[in-house]
Amino acid sequence: MRIGGIITVLVLIGLSFAASFFITSEWMENKIEYQASILNEAKVEIDELDFSFFNLHLKWNRLQVANSNNTMENTFETGPTEFSMEFWPLILRNKVIVDNVRLTGFELATERETDGYFEMPVDEYGEEVEPGFISEVVTQVSSEARKNAEVKFTDVRDDLNIDSLMAKVNIQSVDKIDSLRRGIQRNYTKWDSTFNNTSIEKEIETGRKSVESIKVDEIKDPKKAIEAIENVKKLRNQVDSLKTEAKQLKSEFDQDYGSTKDDLEQVDNWIEEDYQRALSVAKLPDLDVRNIGSALFGQNLLGDYASYLEYVAIAREYGSRFVSDEEDEIPRYEGLDYHFSDKYDWPGFWFKNIELSGRTNTDLVLSGTVTNISSSQKKTGEPVVFDLGGLDENEVSLSLNGEINYLGDDPVEKFNVYYSGFTLSEARLSGSDLLPWELKSGKGEVNVKLDIIGKRIDSRIDYLARDISFDFASAGAPKNKIETLIRDAIGSTDEIDVSALVDNVDGPLRVRVRSNVDDLFMNALRQTVSREIENARRKVEAEVQKRVAGKKEELEKFRDEKEAEIRRCYEELQAKVDDQIALVEQKREDLEEKKKELEKALKDKAAEELKKRIGIDF
Amino acid sequence: MFLIMRYFAKLLKALASEASPSQIAGGIILGMIIGLTPVASLHNLFILILILILKVNLGMAILSFTIFSGIAYLADPLFHSFGIWLLELESMQQTWTDMYNNEWWALTKFYNTVVIGSFATAVLLCIPMFPLTQFGVLQYRKHIHEKMQKWKVIKAIKGTKFYSIYQTVSRVRG
Repeated sequence: MRIGGIITVLVLIGLSFAASFFITSEWMENKIEYQASILNEAKVEIDELDFSFFNLHLKWNRLQVANSNNTMENTFETGPTEFSMEFWPLILRNKVIVDNVRLTGFELATERETDGYFEMPVDEYGEEVEPGFISEVVTQVSSEARKNAEVKFTDVRDDLNIDSLMAKVNIQSVDKIDSLRRGIQRNYTKWDSTFNNTSIEKEIETGRKSVESIKVDEIKDPKKAIEAIENVKKLRNQVDSLKTEAKQLKSEFDQDYGSTKDDLEQVDNWIEEDYQRALSVAKLPDLDVRNIGSALFGQNLLGDYASYLEYVAIAREYGSRFVSDEEDEIPRYEGLDYHFSDKYDWPGFWFKNIELSGRTNTDLVLSGTVTNISSSQKKTGEPVVFDLGGLDENEVSLSLNGEINYLGDDPVEKFNVYYSGFTLSEARLSGSDLLPWELKSGKGEVNVKLDIIGKRIDSRIDYLARDISFDFASAGAPKNKIETLIRDAIGSTDEIDVSALVDNVDGPLRVRVRSNVDDLFMNALRQTVSREIENARRKVEAEVQKRVAGKKEELEKFRDEKEAEIRRCYEELQAKVDDQIALVEQKREDLEEKKKELEKALKDKAAEELKKRIGIDF
Repeated sequence: MFLIMRYFAKLLKALASEASPSQIAGGIILGMIIGLTPVASLHNLFILILILILKVNLGMAILSFTIFSGIAYLADPLFHSFGIWLLELESMQQTWTDMYNNEWWALTKFYNTVVIGSFATAVLLCIPMFPLTQFGVLQYRKHIHEKMQKWKVIKAIKGTKFYSIYQTVSRVRG
């Protein structure tokens, strides 16, 4: 044994422990912050990270995860947190497996003191990915929310000035009808010229002369008769071909000129478009239940809904980032690993149980558990399940639970949120001009259910405002008739419930908003406002009709006249062709008759001659 | 340059008389194991500790490691094939599975074709290499060493200023 060697080994071991004790925490903090920032595409900062190499225990005092879309805000942050990593997964496979995490001071959407922008290394930019399904739904829902915000019932007025309205509306039907008339005229001129300049008439005349030049009485020889018959047959063929030519012309005319009928049918559509344009300038809304519910609550509810969905989109995006957890292929001469069992088939990371506590931005203390957050659910065989809840001294409660399950072929996300007991005092229920008043009192309740399986979404937000009373007094006297009606309607109820339904279960995405206020409003609005709107509509329609009145009929008359003229031309032509056919046929019959006559005479003469020669009478 | 010269001088000195044939053979086979197998393997940590605490010749271990690393670079495909054969041996399946499922054995990475193939080869080579090296050292001392001292190259090296300085330093250091 070499004493010096033993001492060297012991010194090396001692130095390794010392290095791990002094260096690991700072080194790990930098390493984790850098890698997590790349993953987050914004800064991830850890304060006072402490890593114990001996028991693989990790703890930090504060963790901030900046929001990459708004770097002055954290997506979330945590307070003191600690956990221990399992030894063998870390040593054997470099995998972080944690049984239990104690995470305190969890808060969503907190403000940052410094900018959380992170300069991504060039080689870390992933490929541009197309917006996912959930992002598309967010876009559609947000657009629906915007549309709802644009419905302005207060634009309905009694004193609709039709002249000033029509001055703003570009009535296009008249110009379009004139243009169509010019088109018909051009078409007529073309066909008129075609029928007048056709060679058919000339050819008929030439043929007629040829027929007349055949003098049947002057034919004395049967051979000449046969020759003439052949000539007449040729003439007949020529006339048939002229007839076909005439028919072809008619058919082309029918086809070409007939299409103007379709053009005429468009006139009604043009008038309807002008009418709709006038209505949109007049901003006359459709007063149906759907519009009222949407106008009142759509913007708020669907806006909230879109922001909930964004969290789901984030979850799915992160989920998809971790899906590829497979190890790189081992180069040939580093050998191949034989896996004799699946004992070490761990995911890249796996937090089996997180005991979470924190507070919401309304200071409601929240606690609960999140289980099985991992980089590969297929390896853990466990979905992420979360169940959080809280209650404050005012009996405001929040519960949030759900599941993120990527074990099957289709990703499944299910969320349930129930928030109740919050005060509605001094709150405004809607951003719409129809409900501009604050509430004096009331309690609110929100229930959100969101199920997404692959690209199938089925969700519902129910909002209930109980024991409400509006502060009409501080709003002053009603400004117009609609306001009066609305005050009367909603003053008669102390409860408002609204539901927003977003789903694509039976086809394309549907967004619907329903509320019990719908009927209250409908009844009030139907009595007067709808009548006013109907009057205004009638005025607009009458004005549009007045401006285009007679234009369509005039055009139809013009078209029919022109068509009749062309048809007359064709009929004349057709008559000439038919006369020519008759003439040729007559000539042919005469010639056939003459031929028979001559042949008979010839035969008689021959028989007479024979009788004379042989002296026998047949 | 001085260090390399010193290293070779020590090697020659050890070969000539300083170290016992067993110490030289021990250094060579332990260096060979590290050289033939992937360096970053757990068993090499144990071999390194053995080299440090046993009275094997360090210089020979380093020389052996260098030479056999080069050989291993060329022989890796053979180790891989040998490893596949070993890991697929029907009679060994239970043993391999038990070893794989034991975390400490798993640390050795014996489930890797090149690691097990090269390690088994190195261990098998130890059996003939140890006595052969001992025999070789004895034969060197008896027949070759004296002749080598008469080589012009050796004389020329011994005649340089470098060598005399090295001799002086060695004497001072003891």
